[in-house]
Amino acid sequence: MEDHGSAALRSLLEVLPDTVLETHARLGDATACVDPTRILTVLRHLRDEPGLEFDMLMDLCAVDFLGSEPRFEVVYHLYSLAHKHRVRIKARVPEAAPEIDSAVSLYPGANWMEREVFDLYGVRFTDHPDLRRLLLYEEFEGHPLRKDYAKEKRQPLVGPGN
Amino acid sequence: MAGGRNSLTERVLDTPEDDLERDLHTEHHVLNMGPSHPATHGTVKFLIELDGETIVALDIQVGYLHRGFEKECESGTWYQAIPYTDRLNYNSAILANIGYCMAVEKLLEVDVPERCLWLRVLACELSRVGDHLTRCGAACLELAAMTPFLYGIEARELVWDLQELLCGARVTSNYIRIGGVKHGLPADFAVACRESIAKVRALLDDFEAVVTSNRIFVDRLKGTGMLSKEDCIRYAVTGPLLRAVGEPLDLRKDQPYLVYDEIDFDVPIGEVGDNYDRYLVCMEEVQQSLRIVEQCLDKLEKLGPGPVNSEDPRVRWPAKGRVFNQMEELIQQFKSVTEGPRVPEGEGYLAIESANGELGFYLVSDGSAVPYKVRCRPPSLINLAPMPLMLKGALLADLIPTFDFINMVGGECDR
Amino acid sequence: MPGSVIKVKRQEKIGWLERLYVPMIIKGLFVTGGHFFRNLRGFVTGKNRTDFVVQYPEERVDYPSAFRGMPVLVALDDGLPKCVACGLCEFACPTDCISIVPGELEGARIERYPEAFDIDMSRCMYCGLCEEACPEEAIVMSREVEISTYDRQSMIFEKENLLVHENLLKRRIDFIRGDYERDREPPKSDV
Ligand code: SF4
Ligand code: SF4
Repeated sequence: MEDHGSAALRSLLEVLPDTVLETHARLGDATACVDPTRILTVLRHLRDEPGLEFDMLMDLCAVDFLGSEPRFEVVYHLYSLAHKHRVRIKARVPEAAPEIDSAVSLYPGANWMEREVFDLYGVRFTDHPDLRRLLLYEEFEGHPLRKDYAKEKRQPLVGPGN
Repeated sequence: MAGGRNSLTERVLDTPEDDLERDLHTEHHVLNMGPSHPATHGTVKFLIELDGETIVALDIQVGYLHRGFEKECESGTWYQAIPYTDRLNYNSAILANIGYCMAVEKLLEVDVPERCLWLRVLACELSRVGDHLTRCGAACLELAAMTPFLYGIEARELVWDLQELLCGARVTSNYIRIGGVKHGLPADFAVACRESIAKVRALLDDFEAVVTSNRIFVDRLKGTGMLSKEDCIRYAVTGPLLRAVGEPLDLRKDQPYLVYDEIDFDVPIGEVGDNYDRYLVCMEEVQQSLRIVEQCLDKLEKLGPGPVNSEDPRVRWPAKGRVFNQMEELIQQFKSVTEGPRVPEGEGYLAIESANGELGFYLVSDGSAVPYKVRCRPPSLINLAPMPLMLKGALLADLIPTFDFINMVGGECDR
Repeated sequence: MPGSVIKVKRQEKIGWLERLYVPMIIKGLFVTGGHFFRNLRGFVTGKNRTDFVVQYPEERVDYPSAFRGMPVLVALDDGLPKCVACGLCEFACPTDCISIVPGELEGARIERYPEAFDIDMSRCMYCGLCEEACPEEAIVMSREVEISTYDRQSMIFEKENLLVHENLLKRRIDFIRGDYERDREPPKSDV
């Protein structure tokens, strides 16, 4: 695996080589796919290592690759204020047990973003302090951004008629 | 939705000093504010646990304006998502337009002509002015100052008239296209724009005269809604909120996109990060944006007429003049409309500095003509998350200005 | 890169003048009074009006040429639509609010025409993509915005209600024509 000239990827490959599954830097975005069970180790390393200092978790979202396994991909976008660089970390979690460790202990800002991913994709974040739905209401059934949730589907409590 | 959570925190009143309170049987009171409250501009519900008038705990429930933006984008072509991005932040629609289109251009690796870049910066800054004026004006209104609100809104109205002149709509601009903009500057735009800028400046002077050193206004803003720099960073707060604590993160400077590296403007920062600093930062940013608009007008005049759209056949909708006369162009038009660009397989994240902070678009394409995933990083949502922290131990009245300066915009926050 | 980081001027202490309220009230009155009398003079004399509010519906503002109102069909002199029912606008519309039933007229000037052409205005979002897609200049954004009704059914506009004669749409058609050659020789008016 290559580091594609990115300090973050180089450091990850040096220090935690067994966590990294794949790297690329297409379109200039340094990206690493990592082992989902070690996600906190990776994030902590990126946050605390001098020279990297990714102190802001800019974005956390998920993508549903229906039909491939593992199905869900949780995507973290990190930014470093001091060094003004970015890195993208991705971790795939399987459909049978869509679970990954919560990043709230490292980045408190992950709280709402993880709630949103749980809400829309049904990925569970273990050790999250308050894993509730964020955008939808408690009684909502299913997770609407999953690819197998039909766009036209109506829920009993919203929409006219059904 | 409160579902049995009457007490947001454990009651801790069992120390001997609290004897008096125990005798009085004081209880924390849970107040339900919203979803549609006259003193908040935005549809959001606060569950506030109060001890007298002091906020003990705060739970914010968002999502009342959730319209399935991301799901909707996954069902049309890449083009058809552009009007939806208008409806994210309806105070500064063009910024979301630009963010989305630039992200698609990144995936397609399309370059746009120079004239288009300057036009985009011009449109960007106009909508930033509109957004900040709404924020400051509405904050005055909700702090019971009606007149400055009207001055702010009048200035915003001038800016929105310019947007209408440029894009055809005041709010839902739908002006930016993948690989360009919809059309060039209208003939009378430069003159109208210079006139309006002069008027906006005069109104801003009046606005500041009645508000900036007004004791009531200052007393309600100073020292309220503070968030430390460390917390801002831990919560990934961006935009004027972060700059108000003295951290000059502005993507226009730090990762220049479009032509911001050729433009002369300053980044205002504050000192302590209370609401007063946020107000001052926003007002200064308006002045800087007006400066940028003027520079853009000068530059556009210097550049002279020229193409505003990319020639790349994948994204180009042929000019109508050719569609009428040439068979190939007609076929191309049919192809562009029915199918749209096929974006190569891959993923890309592109962030721009919107009026609220970093507005990012993370797009995933599976190589087809339909987006596989359109993720919008909403700055309002992420800036709203640490609000309970800002208000711990504050008075209920401090909630209003703090919420105003976070400038949560329902459309963008809930998508 | 020109430009730099500047610190906002924060008044740590407000002066005694401001603390006393009264001088500030007077200052504020000067500002608001200035606006009031300027607006009043303009309103009474009708010249150089500075008041911003328009007394709708007696007074109306003139929308700019780029303005996008409700989409309408262009009718030619014979009252027939210019549309050839190609269906491009149907494809382009993000909200699927256009539905067309194509038909054919034997021996007519243009053989294909829309037998039915409905726009569900309760779903339309005035984006203008239909106008951009049309290869015949047959659907354009008019200046009509006052279309509210009492029920949803009457928001579905049928062909007869959508047809507007070409001459009435001249301003818009001229505007989109100004853009025709945008990537070859831009119009002179462009700044
Ligand atoms: S303006 Fe937009 S939404 Fe309305 S009919 Fe045309 S394409 Fe559809
Ligand atoms: S695109 Fe134009 S010609 Fe084709 S069906 Fe629509 S209105 Fe008619």
